[in-house]
Amino acid sequence: MTRTEAESRLKSIFKLEKFYDDQWASISRLLNGERLLLIEKTGFGKSLCYQFPATQFKGLTVIFSPLIALMRDQVKYLKSIGVEAACVNSEQGQDENSKILDKAKNGQLKTLYIAPERQENQEWLDAVRLMNLSMVVIDEAHCISVWGHDFRPAFRRIINLVKLLPQNFPVLATTATATERVANDIRQQMGKNVALKRGNLLRDNFFLNVVIVNDEDEKMVWLAEYLSKVDGNGLIYTGTRVTTEIFSAWLQFNHIEAINYNAGLDALSRNEIEEGLYSNRWKCVVSTNALGMGIDKPDIRFIIHTQIPQSPIHYYQEIGRAGRDGKPTQLFLLFSPVDLDLPTHFIKNSRPSLKNYQRVIDALKEAPLGEWDLMRKTNLTQTQIRVIKADLLDQGIIKEVLYGRSKKYEYQFNAPALDTIPFEKLRIFKLHELEQMFKYIHLKSCRMEYLCKYLGDQNVKQCGKCDNCRNLIQQVNINDFGRSKIEGFRDSYFPELIIQSESSNIINGVAASYYGVSNVGSIIHRCKYENGGDFPDHLLKKTLRAFRHKFGSEKFDLIIYIPPTESGVLVKNFAEKVSRVLKIPISNNLNKIRFTDPQKIFNNSVLKKDNVRNAFSYEPIQDIIGKKILVIDDIFDSGATIKEIGKYLTKLGATLVAPLVIAKTVGGDIA
Amino acid sequence: MNEFNEYPYWMALSHIPKWGNEKINWLIIEILHTKKITFDEFFALNEKEMKEEFNLLPNQITDIQKAKSELPNYSFLAENLFEQGFQLIPINSKEYSEILKQNLKRKYSPPLLYVKGNTKLLNEDSIAIVGSRNTSEISLEFTKNIAKKCAENYEVVVSGFAKGVDKMALDATLEYNGHSIIVLPQGILTFGSGIKKYYKKIIDGDVLILSTYHPKAPWSVGLAMNRNTYIYGLAKTIYVAESDSKGGTWNGVMDGLKKGRIIYIRKPSPAEKNANNMLIMQGAIPVDSFGKPIESTENNVEEKLKQILSKGQLTAKAINEKLDIEIDQKNLQKLLSNLLFVDSKSVSRKKYYFLKNSTPAQADLFSS
Repeated sequence: MTRTEAESRLKSIFKLEKFYDDQWASISRLLNGERLLLIEKTGFGKSLCYQFPATQFKGLTVIFSPLIALMRDQVKYLKSIGVEAACVNSEQGQDENSKILDKAKNGQLKTLYIAPERQENQEWLDAVRLMNLSMVVIDEAHCISVWGHDFRPAFRRIINLVKLLPQNFPVLATTATATERVANDIRQQMGKNVALKRGNLLRDNFFLNVVIVNDEDEKMVWLAEYLSKVDGNGLIYTGTRVTTEIFSAWLQFNHIEAINYNAGLDALSRNEIEEGLYSNRWKCVVSTNALGMGIDKPDIRFIIHTQIPQSPIHYYQEIGRAGRDGKPTQLFLLFSPVDLDLPTHFIKNSRPSLKNYQRVIDALKEAPLGEWDLMRKTNLTQTQIRVIKADLLDQGIIKEVLYGRSKKYEYQFNAPALDTIPFEKLRIFKLHELEQMFKYIHLKSCRMEYLCKYLGDQNVKQCGKCDNCRNLIQQVNINDFGRSKIEGFRDSYFPELIIQSESSNIINGVAASYYGVSNVGSIIHRCKYENGGDFPDHLLKKTLRAFRHKFGSEKFDLIIYIPPTESGVLVKNFAEKVSRVLKIPISNNLNKIRFTDPQKIFNNSVLKKDNVRNAFSYEPIQDIIGKKILVIDDIFDSGATIKEIGKYLTKLGATLVAPLVIAKTVGGDIA
Repeated sequence: MNEFNEYPYWMALSHIPKWGNEKINWLIIEILHTKKITFDEFFALNEKEMKEEFNLLPNQITDIQKAKSELPNYSFLAENLFEQGFQLIPINSKEYSEILKQNLKRKYSPPLLYVKGNTKLLNEDSIAIVGSRNTSEISLEFTKNIAKKCAENYEVVVSGFAKGVDKMALDATLEYNGHSIIVLPQGILTFGSGIKKYYKKIIDGDVLILSTYHPKAPWSVGLAMNRNTYIYGLAKTIYVAESDSKGGTWNGVMDGLKKGRIIYIRKPSPAEKNANNMLIMQGAIPVDSFGKPIESTENNVEEKLKQILSKGQLTAKAINEKLDIEIDQKNLQKLLSNLLFVDSKSVSRKKYYFLKNSTPAQADLFSS
């Protein structure tokens, strides 16, 4: 097909006049049955490079993308111009996905978007055998490489697939961010004859800034001030899920429209926030970096990082989501010296100990096990299990095998011994990358030039827009007013316990404080384990404030407290005080009917659930039938105990069960 | 060595419908050895080139084009197989069973093996123990004895994972810490429960699961019958525990004898109602319950028959009386009509057997 022919078809289908030269260069290769790695910055029009050929091929183009939001957007767009497109993903119902797969088998689709994880799904594997396939696309191809900023084990299978596809079958891998090392790694993994196309990376509408602060308070003050005056809408990226909650609450406290987003939210809430982001429902969304990849919103006017990213690639990738419309866009990185601790800790502890690898291997030598079985057998956390199994899969020591619908892991005959050298190399490499990011913070020269060079674009000039190019010095001045405001906020901020579920009448509860964020954790610890006596009255006051804040208008019939495993009468005494103040009757009749271990010795939710399942009883049930019940405990960790009690009381006839605790833990900080 | 990306080609070629192993093997040899081109290059040929360079017929070219269009699908399937710990062993691979190639030749050798487990077992000394699904205690005991002997001699026991003798052969081998190859009558992806059951034996390297069919092919009678060829093919030596006068075991043994294989068969006791003795008459070597050949001329049934018939023509009933081997009338008739040196004719509704090229004496007609 000549370019003229192609462009006349482009016009009739996509209503676009012509291709950029770089686009056409890529497209003609694909039409010719070649393999290509395309590295172009956000806004280049990478998707057209596969959408157009997809409309020209006889069969189906399968696009592997890790980003559900992107899939949804592209399908919507393609359908709007009359191209048969669909996506299969975990957020759609089984029926809908099956229907789409049928359509694909019957040749009624031109493009099908799926997540790489789908390659592990039996229904997909059975269906794809019967599809007439014309091209495979790997979006966000940097996820293939461990040297990239977002390696995902699910891409390993995609790469193996690509290696097995016939030589003249067109394959396109695209990404906006790949260093030379990552690009070479991807090409090498994709097999023979993979062409590379790389564009320039300079984003000339970006104003890069770094603000060095002394502590979290200064970050908060800066955020409140900046957001009250800046135009447009944008994103704030924080380092942890908890900080998304705290910062968005702080901004709301300052009457700035903000909402928090993180991967811990359910799919429905995430979707709603993504939609709200498009319609600028909030001034800003406070998020972990789970949000934003693949969000095709043209007018994100600012992105503020409150935590140092792990590397310059991470940073470039994350800010890359802003300013797609080419209009001036502000990028800020707030940095306080202690911020290095978190990413350094992550890198140093990214892999469990060898002993734990051996535990998994030993368990799998006995029988094929699923993820939950492994958690039960090894008492490792889900995260640890996932890291270990990804490594063992990668090294061919175990295989992931489908037993009907469930995945199990099988040890392999003749499996090699675990090789830890790659882990060490990767750790050193990641610390090096973090250092490069640290350099960026204290850079005196052009920031854009630094980022582009780091990413392999050597032909870049000074941007003239960053703080260094413009000789700006960003500072935060915090006054007494600011300080008292932050204190006022801290006093009135209570973490929510997200626990509501369809299957019981339990509702979301509230904690007086986070366990590790304030000194509350150490006070509780002293009382429980160092004979410190009853929980002090200021915790009672704070807990009562949390109660009024969350349940102010609710009328409760009864207070029940959770029977202890080892801390004696502390919770009982505490609950009795709450009962006296709130004038709600208290009952001592919730009992354990069997021995349970302290929840904290279990490192994962499966074992915690097993530990408390059917462990409680209550008599007489007349106390419970038709009643609203407040359940009190000292610490909320996994929530397994409270969930179990919620389920039990619901079964007995409670109409509402509300948890109230002194402290909520943050990511296992109780251990 | 096969390149990783060649596997989908092997799969596509091996599963061209209705071609049969012989034709598929022929094409593979033509491509890789005669023309010395890669599969990539072969599938890139147009119809005219396929016709001219490979003398392929139009309908064959259509089949190959269809296989070509399915290559990406096979890529997906291959990825899934590798991911789940299966291996693919093409006929030109070093890991492919040498004995299978020798036994089945180009005509019957499967072009591609799907396996899971210890592939080294494919090239170790191997025996097969075969027999029917519904079998006697005595045959099972025999199977157990042979399996034990093989385990002690480090021989691999090949069996077909059917009920009865097959299952006993496998379980006894593993009980005595021997090695076993399970030859499936189905696609290897449909054997999840079996793999689960023998998990530890597989990962310890004691068992190899093997299938020659499309990985998704469900169990069928046809595949179960067809699979027997591969069981016999994979074994250097064959032991028969028990056979009926028809069915898979019978056909397999007859086929093996025709191909000149040495086949040991358990010598049945006089009370048994099976066709073991008939197979002995066909040339299978009788063995005792521990697999030791029974040396005896009395077992040379053919010689005996010659002797009996040299005196004149006889009915089957009469022959049976003179023959001191336990065999039922029908089976004897079947045997007699199979023997090249025996002829027969019917006289007043009775069938008389006599040696070929001998004129039956008139008097003998009335002697019995």
